[in-house]
Amino acid sequence: MTRVAIVAVVLILMMAPPLVTTNQFLLHLAITVLLWTLLGASWNLLGGFAGQVSFGHATFFGVGAYATMILYLRLGLAPWYGMALGGAAAVLVSLPIGLICFRLRGPYFSLSTLAVAEIVRLVALNWEALTNGPVGLLITALPPVALGTRGINWESKVPFYCIIAVLAALAMAATWILSRARLGAYLLAIREDEDAAESVGIDTVRAKVLTLALSAFFTGLGGGFYGFYFHYVDPDAVFPIAVSVEMVFIAVVGGLATVIGPVIGAVFLTTIGELFRERFQVGHLIFYGLFMMLVIRYLPEGIWGGARRAWTGRR
Amino acid sequence: MALLTVSDLTRDFGGLRAVDRFSFTVEAGEILGLIGPNGAGKTTVFNLITGFLRPTSGEILVEGRSIVGLRPHAVIRRGIARTFQLVKPFPKLSVRENVTLAAFTHEPARRRAEAVACQILERVGLGDRLDAPAADLTLGAQKRLEVARALATRPRVLLLDEPMGGLNPREVDEASALVRQIRAEGVTVVLVEHVMKAIMRISERVVVIHHGEKIADGAPERVVQDPSVIAAYLGTRVA
Repeated sequence: MTRVAIVAVVLILMMAPPLVTTNQFLLHLAITVLLWTLLGASWNLLGGFAGQVSFGHATFFGVGAYATMILYLRLGLAPWYGMALGGAAAVLVSLPIGLICFRLRGPYFSLSTLAVAEIVRLVALNWEALTNGPVGLLITALPPVALGTRGINWESKVPFYCIIAVLAALAMAATWILSRARLGAYLLAIREDEDAAESVGIDTVRAKVLTLALSAFFTGLGGGFYGFYFHYVDPDAVFPIAVSVEMVFIAVVGGLATVIGPVIGAVFLTTIGELFRERFQVGHLIFYGLFMMLVIRYLPEGIWGGARRAWTGRR
Repeated sequence: MALLTVSDLTRDFGGLRAVDRFSFTVEAGEILGLIGPNGAGKTTVFNLITGFLRPTSGEILVEGRSIVGLRPHAVIRRGIARTFQLVKPFPKLSVRENVTLAAFTHEPARRRAEAVACQILERVGLGDRLDAPAADLTLGAQKRLEVARALATRPRVLLLDEPMGGLNPREVDEASALVRQIRAEGVTVVLVEHVMKAIMRISERVVVIHHGEKIADGAPERVVQDPSVIAAYLGTRVA
């Protein structure tokens, strides 16, 4: 009962910002938080449940972003279809990556995802015919969309806010469904002991590849949204290691394998990141790193995981 | 036809031949002991049968159908389940969840799978620890948990890798009783064991492996008198 109440409160809070403020900076910050919520939740599907720590999720983010941009610029496909196809493109890319990288376990898996992500980044940088190389791709105008009698005003941030809020909620819903599904139970078993999971009849490779595909789909949607929102992508913006690492941080700081965790992680890390940047200028990453170390040392289950433990322990 | 037929099974690790043209059969309904000195290749044989290792050459048949090349989860579905020498429970998951995961092989619905798991846990004597995390159990109880997990996959053959290693004498007696009970319920049992007294008492037939090769196969009381078995365990006198 309390759990349902918490989820309801979080969902209402997620929908609130455009109703209570018209401040463009605050709305932008809220959009950023929700984009990172979506990405953290996507990473969490694989990393939190199955314990497969990917350092290469920027690949799926970048593929989603580029697919959406290219489909719009070359074929005139509207960004919403483009975003869905961006997710699908990320799924396609995830399959060979999964089949290769899941031959390895633990830290070797993590390193292989990092290596693959770098390969994909370099391909994007050098395949100029498709990606326009380091110059990147730019959308100059979004298509007019009728909504009732008026069109959507793309100059406003509110429509973008609504789109990303829905996407983030979808990723959280997927997390919730996974936590109740047989696949979710299989993933927890894989996280605990892969050999034992095989020995009770779980096809561990299939479970991991499926989950990676799901995770890549939502990450690709996030990438599509990014291109659509910023009107611009280049390899350094959407394929860097920093994007992959930030997804890991958000899931870990929020709470692994939880529905609410990524929201909390995204809220904390985005706001604290902004705060430190403003306060400490050049040295802000030092303090960001220090904050990460403190959380991992004192709240290994993440902020939400720790809070939940304190709550159940008290009763 | 034998339930499980292993023929000319061979496995090399680099230059070392860990299992060398090893052949044996398991008949439905028996308790078969697989014994041998340390490093003889017993666990390797289990790993080869259950798909955790691929044979260099040789054949493994379950009721005449080859299972060579199948991954462990697929071997399970042919009716061959195992436990591990060093127990591998899912430590943070509850005892009930540990076995429920295995029951999913035949019961896709969670509620039914949980019911099956509870019933099996009752049978192996863990009915009062359903909600405990597996990590909190004693070694003896964790070994029972592994047996319960294997049974939940509804095996026809259960491979037990040192089910009595590290147990105290009372636990060894309980484990022996459990093995007999499992067989009585219609599951064929193959066990690797170091606790000689126990294995000689409960096995109807014993296969002895030494340096990866079979050196004896027969009733326990005959096998212990076999000169090559005595030599393998005690060494040969240098004349």
